[in-house]
Amino acid sequence: MTTNDPLRQLLIEFFELPADTTPKELSQPAVKQWDSFAMMQLITELQAAFSIEFDLDEVDKLTDYAQIRAALARKGVSL
Amino acid sequence: MFKPFETLRRRLPEPARAAVMDAFDSCTWIKVRRALSALEQCPLEEQGQEVAVQMLSTFTLESIQPALHLGLRCIPCRPKLEFAPLNTIEQQLFDRGSEVYQRRHLASVIFWRVDELLPDLYHPCSSGGPKELKRKAAELMERMEKMAAVYAEAGSHPLFFSTFMVPPSAAARMLESQLNSGLSASIAEINARIFDLASRDGKLRVLDLNRWSAQEGEAHYDAQMDFMARQPFTVRGALSLGVFLARNLRPLLTPRRKVLAVDLDNTLWGGIAGEDGIANLKLGQDFPGNIFLRLQREILELKEQGVLLALVSKNEETEARNAIETLPGMLLKWQDFVCRKVNFDHKYLNLRQAAAELGLGLDSFALLDDSDYEREQMRAFNPEVLVLNQRGDPLHILDSLLRTDAFDVHQLSQEDRARHREYELREARSVPSHEGNVAEFLTSLELRARLEPVHKNNIERVIQLLGKTNQFNLTTRRHRLEDLQSMLSRPGSISLTLRLTDKFGDQGIVGVILAVPGDDPGTLCIDSFLMSCRVIGRGVEDTLWASLVNRAARAGVGRIVGDYIPTARNGLAATVYERLGLRRLEELQAGTRFVLEAVQPIPFPAWMTIEDLDP
Repeated sequence: MTTNDPLRQLLIEFFELPADTTPKELSQPAVKQWDSFAMMQLITELQAAFSIEFDLDEVDKLTDYAQIRAALARKGVSL
Repeated sequence: MFKPFETLRRRLPEPARAAVMDAFDSCTWIKVRRALSALEQCPLEEQGQEVAVQMLSTFTLESIQPALHLGLRCIPCRPKLEFAPLNTIEQQLFDRGSEVYQRRHLASVIFWRVDELLPDLYHPCSSGGPKELKRKAAELMERMEKMAAVYAEAGSHPLFFSTFMVPPSAAARMLESQLNSGLSASIAEINARIFDLASRDGKLRVLDLNRWSAQEGEAHYDAQMDFMARQPFTVRGALSLGVFLARNLRPLLTPRRKVLAVDLDNTLWGGIAGEDGIANLKLGQDFPGNIFLRLQREILELKEQGVLLALVSKNEETEARNAIETLPGMLLKWQDFVCRKVNFDHKYLNLRQAAAELGLGLDSFALLDDSDYEREQMRAFNPEVLVLNQRGDPLHILDSLLRTDAFDVHQLSQEDRARHREYELREARSVPSHEGNVAEFLTSLELRARLEPVHKNNIERVIQLLGKTNQFNLTTRRHRLEDLQSMLSRPGSISLTLRLTDKFGDQGIVGVILAVPGDDPGTLCIDSFLMSCRVIGRGVEDTLWASLVNRAARAGVGRIVGDYIPTARNGLAATVYERLGLRRLEELQAGTRFVLEAVQPIPFPAWMTIEDLDP
């Protein structure tokens, strides 16, 4: 993680979390507003921000920072 | 930024405007949330009223709720969206105890589509063939009919039926376009039925999603979200849908602008009449005259929809009128404008005057004017006037009129249809507008007064006038029916009503005078003397008075006494008795008493034809 990690930044802004939230704290169980509706919006937001499209079988797994980071990496996005 | 948003942008509370613009520009959920937060921090009075809207849908809308909220907040209002459980439209409508029938909602809105209600339409050849599809479509329309009928009977607030969108996810096969029971044909038939249902009942409205999605194009559709979560919209599509929903609900919250004020040169035609000459003005089927022609056609359409037209032009009136009446191709005529301010005064002053003449506030006005200076001055001095166009380019002027929501209304009332004529008559009857030759003008109106006592056929109208007349009312006594009947039954009382007719038509009973015998023998006391304000200046009060005096004289009355009791609103009537020849007798606690001694018959106004029944 770096201070200008764009994924962390996006997740913090998206869920309106404190600026010092760590990647470990960025997971569906830990963030109460990360419900199924937010999940749908988040997918759209990530795809737009990183100019990628997730495969449908990946979408269900995007439930925390690490999984999203890994999925982005598979799409060639290095953070 | 997509165009529908333009109509709402200017109403945004200033502190939140930048954040909202950013959200519509970027179309990301983060920006949408920021914009909502910014709006929530604005002073409450700028956020508009709280409104509850019920959403019934066959597909997921909750996940785009922030976008719908943002659109609605731009009305402005503070929306509370209540989502019925997915796909329960019929259950809700057929259960009269359900949320649909709760009166707290501003409106209920039904969103439905082929995918859930008639998916076979996607595959006409493998779904039983044309006959089977026709049967299924007919069955669906039958269900819609029943829903509309039950709501018409028991519903209270407006219920919107959305039209079916032609789904962007349908296969692009040419055969389906040819079939009379294919996707396009069936959707057209179902939508036609929806329009028909809405035309039958005032509570039912149409949310024309099909037209919206056609205008939005494929940019509104998100196949991934649709397949994954039955939520078919991109963020951009969701924001646009919010704006579209807002536009549909706005007429339920905000009255429309009543007057469209337009400039002439380079607005209704290309060129300047006074400089270029009528022969060189541009108006017709060819570019650029066709833009001005289309603009005039749109303005005429608004007039027929009950919008009053006002002309504000810096021109010589005779020259402007000549151009309007002689320029080939002109669709708008001089008489189409209920108010014409063609002079070299400031336009903002002209519009203030027009507002006063029409009895409307400046916030009822919208303006189209090609001049940057005039628009800027209007914004500065009459900020209530909505300036529709931002530039002088004719195509932009046309576009701003085509897109504005200022004149939005769901249904046309009889009053809307008759409004122009009503104001035209008001102007034609207006005495101040014919200053200089008043008697001649009054004669030209062919005024007829029908005078008759109060009797059982007109007493309801008399009670109504006693109850609501404030300005020309000398005593403001609000008699009840039984009091009036008792007063009139006294021997020696005189009651008179005046029904006024002119060359434009019958105006009904517009004046009343009631008098009872006084304690001193030979004295008659005026109890009430009133007249409807819309007939001021035509001699109605003189006619009523003359008729009363003549009757009193015949009855042997020697003295008539009348009081003026001032109120906050009847200053207009303060000098009436003195003008009619009465003399101040004494000051009372509540007002002033006037008297007419040695009662003798007096003439009626010369311009009034009198029909005195039971004189």
